[in-house]
Amino acid sequence: MKRVLVTHADEPIGRRAVKTLYHDSRVAAIFAVGDGPPPRSFDKFLSDGDTRVTYARVDLARHRPVSDLFHSSAFRAAEIDTVVHVPRHGAAASEQAPLVAGLAERTAETRLLLQHCLEAPEVESLVALGSAFVYRLSPGNVNRLDEESELDLDPDVPPEIRSWIDCDMLLHGEVHNDRLRVVLLRAPTVVASGGYVYLHPTLSGRGGRRLRPAGFDPICALISDKDVARAIVRAVHSTGPGIYNIAGSEALPLSLLARWTGRETWPVPGPVLSLASRGARITGRALDAALDGPHLRYGFTLDTKRAERELGFRPLDRIGMARAGDGALRLETASA
Amino acid sequence: MSEADPAAELFETESLLADAEPRDEGPALGSDPFAELDGPDPLAERLELLDRAWRDAQTRRSRARRAAPIAEVRADPRPADTAPLRVPSKRRAPVLPTLGEIELPEPRGLIDRFLGEDARRVLAAFSHLVENEGPYDRFGFSPEVTRRAFPFFQALYRGWFRVRSEGHANVPDSGPAVLVSNHAGLLPFDAAMTVIDLALHSDPPRLARAIVDRWAGTLPWINVFYARCGQVIGTRENFADLLDDGQLVLVYPEGVEGIRKTIAQRYRLQSFRVGFVEQALRSRAPIVPMAVIGSDDQAPILYDLKPLARMLGLPAAPITPTFPWLGPLGLLPYPVRYKIVYGEPLHFHERFGPEGAEDARLVRYLANQVRRTVQQLIDRSRS
Repeated sequence: MKRVLVTHADEPIGRRAVKTLYHDSRVAAIFAVGDGPPPRSFDKFLSDGDTRVTYARVDLARHRPVSDLFHSSAFRAAEIDTVVHVPRHGAAASEQAPLVAGLAERTAETRLLLQHCLEAPEVESLVALGSAFVYRLSPGNVNRLDEESELDLDPDVPPEIRSWIDCDMLLHGEVHNDRLRVVLLRAPTVVASGGYVYLHPTLSGRGGRRLRPAGFDPICALISDKDVARAIVRAVHSTGPGIYNIAGSEALPLSLLARWTGRETWPVPGPVLSLASRGARITGRALDAALDGPHLRYGFTLDTKRAERELGFRPLDRIGMARAGDGALRLETASA
Repeated sequence: MSEADPAAELFETESLLADAEPRDEGPALGSDPFAELDGPDPLAERLELLDRAWRDAQTRRSRARRAAPIAEVRADPRPADTAPLRVPSKRRAPVLPTLGEIELPEPRGLIDRFLGEDARRVLAAFSHLVENEGPYDRFGFSPEVTRRAFPFFQALYRGWFRVRSEGHANVPDSGPAVLVSNHAGLLPFDAAMTVIDLALHSDPPRLARAIVDRWAGTLPWINVFYARCGQVIGTRENFADLLDDGQLVLVYPEGVEGIRKTIAQRYRLQSFRVGFVEQALRSRAPIVPMAVIGSDDQAPILYDLKPLARMLGLPAAPITPTFPWLGPLGLLPYPVRYKIVYGEPLHFHERFGPEGAEDARLVRYLANQVRRTVQQLIDRSRS
């Protein structure tokens, strides 16, 4: 029986992970932490009669709160043996705040969490969600990438991707640790019913217009949030460490994905976009999303054979269009 | 070593290969097989030797299989110290219906009227290439975009290049295969004509997935068009994935060297890259050599300004009788007659198996054999 800590359980993928773990009979206890108050969907998990789920508000980007968490009596009493780290990915609550609230914090959280997992003797496994946008993309509409593919270490990489690369490299460094089993799951664009998009450096977050270079329409590998949660559960119960690509069976061009998720993409000449992106960086203007980058020109799909072989993970959800309650066509995910 | 030990047989074949190379006569593998095209083939003897070794090994293996108990036959044939071989995935290969099995809907719009019934059946079959009947496959192929582009290229096929072709029976009806062709003519109309020819002359229809140069991926609009029509950027992973999917892959091992050949090098193959042999061996796919006659004449290059091409980051800076004098229009191909010939498939994987891909000298040698075969096809078709 596993006893699991889930970080950022108040954000969409974290919520989904908690729900999936809750319905897994092999999980004895779930200790969920997040920045904000517990999501309303957790009400039934947190009801008086059920003690399997506990929720706490913790700022994981600061050393003291994380240290307090790992040394708290509640944490010790829960006898956590597995930590599931879902880095922050959701939109900030306020309209004025940036879409993903703090890229530097994402890296800091990963570093602190890894450090405390290494120090806590009772924690045996760390399962972390990463982004597949960390890979270096070669020219081409589609690149098939496996776990050994090169990471994009270009200094000009958009900050959103940079923070994922930093997290990835921190975890990568401990994959062969003798005491702590580290599993890193690299997911492409995550979509959820209703047209929600996560982890895509440009499309994720609130709806609205985005720019893309004219003449390019890269293929985006997709995975549903439910499949991500299933992969996390598989990784929790697996025995070996490793890095795994996870992806669904669908892939869509960027323009179509944007349309299906209620967003608009405006094609502008590539050089203009590059200049605008550089200008924004020089002036230090915080941008809602990555303005320019290889991910807007070159597409990729993921080779998931390793996850299939070693974790037994196969995507179950189909991703397509369906008519929502308001009559509008929206992207939906459903079990095949 | 027992006679039934397959690992021993593998080493034996390797040692034969090593023994077959007389060191004092200079390296035969990697040398130009065209240097003595009229004389005796300097490599034929080695191929014969390898062939004989393979046949002997097969005979011994089948004898051993009959004699040995079941447990012994099932033992891992790989030596323990070798790297694990890549096993083709168990993904279901797309099964395309035959033309007779397709029920055609009523023609809609101008495009269907231009296409004709045969082409419509072919395009309807191609939509089965996309898993789960989605709009795009994971390489970006779109049956709908292909349907829209098809009339234009079909018109070029019939009216401009007046393509004649032969040897379609040599292209496997199903399963993975690698088509290896010569490449010429500045713009890749030879690839487009091959794709159309195979689509129209195979049943069930086969879509040739051409491997295109990475440079094409940087070109706005063109990269999208290529991907939507089923062409794929030439990376190792893409190539392997297509073959594992049971697709027909069209490669031009000459690369950009082929398209920038000057008029003096017409119909003379440039050196071949070898990656396609590796992938064919690993995926157990036959190699079908083919020749396209006419592409070398569609835009004869008088001179290639290589320094200018390097400066501009282009694969070639050609001077032809019409380019640059007529501007971009000068790049358009002349209305030459095309002839496409498919040769007999080469089943290297049956002789050498996936293990052969690990031997760089063998791979180079086999690539040269393919090159020789394609050159012979070209020479025979022109005469």
